[in-house]
Amino acid sequence: MDFRLSEEQELVRQNMREFAQKYVDPIAAEIDESGRFPAEVVAKLGEMGYMGMPYPVQYGGAGTDYLTYALAVEELSKSCAATGFTMSVHTSLALGPINNFGNDEQKKKFLTPLCQGKHLGAFALTEPSAGTDVNAATSTAVLEGGEYVLNGTKTFTSNGPVADTFVTFAWTDKSAGAKGMSAFIVPKDAPGLRVGEHFMKMGIRASQTSEIIFKDCRIPQANLLGGEGQGLKIAMNCFDHGRIGIAAQAVGIAQAAMEESISYAKERVQFGKPISKNQAIQWWIADMATDIDCARFLYMRAAWLKDQGLPFTKEASMAKVFAAEMCMKHSIKAVQIHGGYGYIKGQKVERLMRDAKITEIYEGTSEAQRMVIANNVLR
Amino acid sequence: MPDILSCYKWVADEAYIRSGSSGALDLNMADYKISDYDKNAIEEAMLLTEKYGGNTAVITVGLPDDTKGVKDALSRGPEKAYFVNDPAFADLEPEQTATLLAAAIASPIPYDIIICGEGSSDLYAQQVGPRLAEKLGIPCLCYVQKVELDGSQLVAERKTDAGIEVVAVELPVLLTVVPDINMPRLPGLRDTLAAGKKPVTEFTADDLPQGQAALLQTTNSKVASITRSSRMFGTDAASIGDLVQELKNSGVIA
Repeated sequence: MDFRLSEEQELVRQNMREFAQKYVDPIAAEIDESGRFPAEVVAKLGEMGYMGMPYPVQYGGAGTDYLTYALAVEELSKSCAATGFTMSVHTSLALGPINNFGNDEQKKKFLTPLCQGKHLGAFALTEPSAGTDVNAATSTAVLEGGEYVLNGTKTFTSNGPVADTFVTFAWTDKSAGAKGMSAFIVPKDAPGLRVGEHFMKMGIRASQTSEIIFKDCRIPQANLLGGEGQGLKIAMNCFDHGRIGIAAQAVGIAQAAMEESISYAKERVQFGKPISKNQAIQWWIADMATDIDCARFLYMRAAWLKDQGLPFTKEASMAKVFAAEMCMKHSIKAVQIHGGYGYIKGQKVERLMRDAKITEIYEGTSEAQRMVIANNVLR
Repeated sequence: MPDILSCYKWVADEAYIRSGSSGALDLNMADYKISDYDKNAIEEAMLLTEKYGGNTAVITVGLPDDTKGVKDALSRGPEKAYFVNDPAFADLEPEQTATLLAAAIASPIPYDIIICGEGSSDLYAQQVGPRLAEKLGIPCLCYVQKVELDGSQLVAERKTDAGIEVVAVELPVLLTVVPDINMPRLPGLRDTLAAGKKPVTEFTADDLPQGQAALLQTTNSKVASITRSSRMFGTDAASIGDLVQELKNSGVIA
């Protein structure tokens, strides 16, 4: 048993912290307020090698383990949860399926520019009628003359308006049940692909979210990912590792909330002493520190299991649900510690509390995580 | 094409230094980092070789555990590292550090230009650079804010209290650089991952002649504390007079 990170992992974390302080901290409040996509920061992340961290060097990745990648997501999210999520959803959900299920040709063509940060990826699964219940999706794909013709509407697609490459899912044979859904790689310029409504969100406002509409959208047959009927398997596989990224993001948000709370509590004087001298505040901070460590160790364990090639589905769900819920709880406490100031725009904790909420919802709600965990421990 | 050797010190990151319960510095929580201006020294070596060609290396004196620092330094571009380390090399005085560096460099390590940060982030004694130059018998230019090369001649701008001094010197030379000289780059992910694969030559106390014993002994360290005396003054003329008198009384102004 060894809880130490490797020197490389520590350096990557340190460098990402410095990157975030230099390029992300100065704009985080502005892009939250305006909802502007920080394209310049995402391009810089790509240049620095952070947009394809855990994928093979031969396809433009950096070849790190998953733990190193998760550590980087945590650090980036500490400065800006939206930017951290942009990196995470691109890496885990768009690149993951192409890396894990794509053939060599698909990896050369799609994975390489994605890993290099020249292209941005999105994952279009959710539909208006199909959230946690993926089987309720209605999108279809029909093979016609060497091309798949896609029809359907995807919603809440993260990176949707700014992505170059989509991984999407549609029924190739509805009658085959779980084995009737297939996964496809769709470039943004595919005829019949349209970006629909852009959504205004409560938090992670700089992350871009939209509908993606396929209307007789034609893509080459070669863009089928895995084989026909593998769609659900592919979706579930990338959710497993995506959850590690979201857990790391939640830890980053909570860590930021705690750091803000500590510095405010030491400065804020009431009744003649800093409020950090009050036991109530001390206990809240102690609980934050403890829960953050728990969540961090949970996501690190899940990532470590994945890196060892061991099963990690249950552990990733545990990390995700625990990290998300403790992040929500403590970001609310952080606002409370700040009192009235915490409720004012421009205070970082105000943003953190709004950003925290989404971690309980996307990439599998807390309830979906509990289903996964229960299925594993009750069987 | 010059051989450029940059020196760095691995120091506690002041952002993580806490005040202990006894009032002493508490380094238990501290992360370590390359001393700030030494990052400028490494960056300047990279900029010079990008412009004029040449080879870059880093050298440091520290404890055997400071291997992360070696990787950090190498991730910033230099091709190789010289790591002078021994469990005995804790809390060295500048004279001792300079002696060890000089002995390692005499082993020999090729150099035309040696670059140091103007002072370290922890103690800022500004001693190691000039002492090292003296021991090597080469010229030393301090407070350097700009460097150009012209064949075997180096032209440097020195930022002094009296103004900017432009100095030309024949190589070899030792420079100590101020932070205005450049903006150190952030290592990319691939640079960080590749750093561990670059060659590192180690020296230990057994490889090097023993210098003098420490002349100073640190017995204690205390955290400086600031007290605030929140006094309120009005804005009328008489109150301003009171404020001035109060500042005089407390010795803030004479």
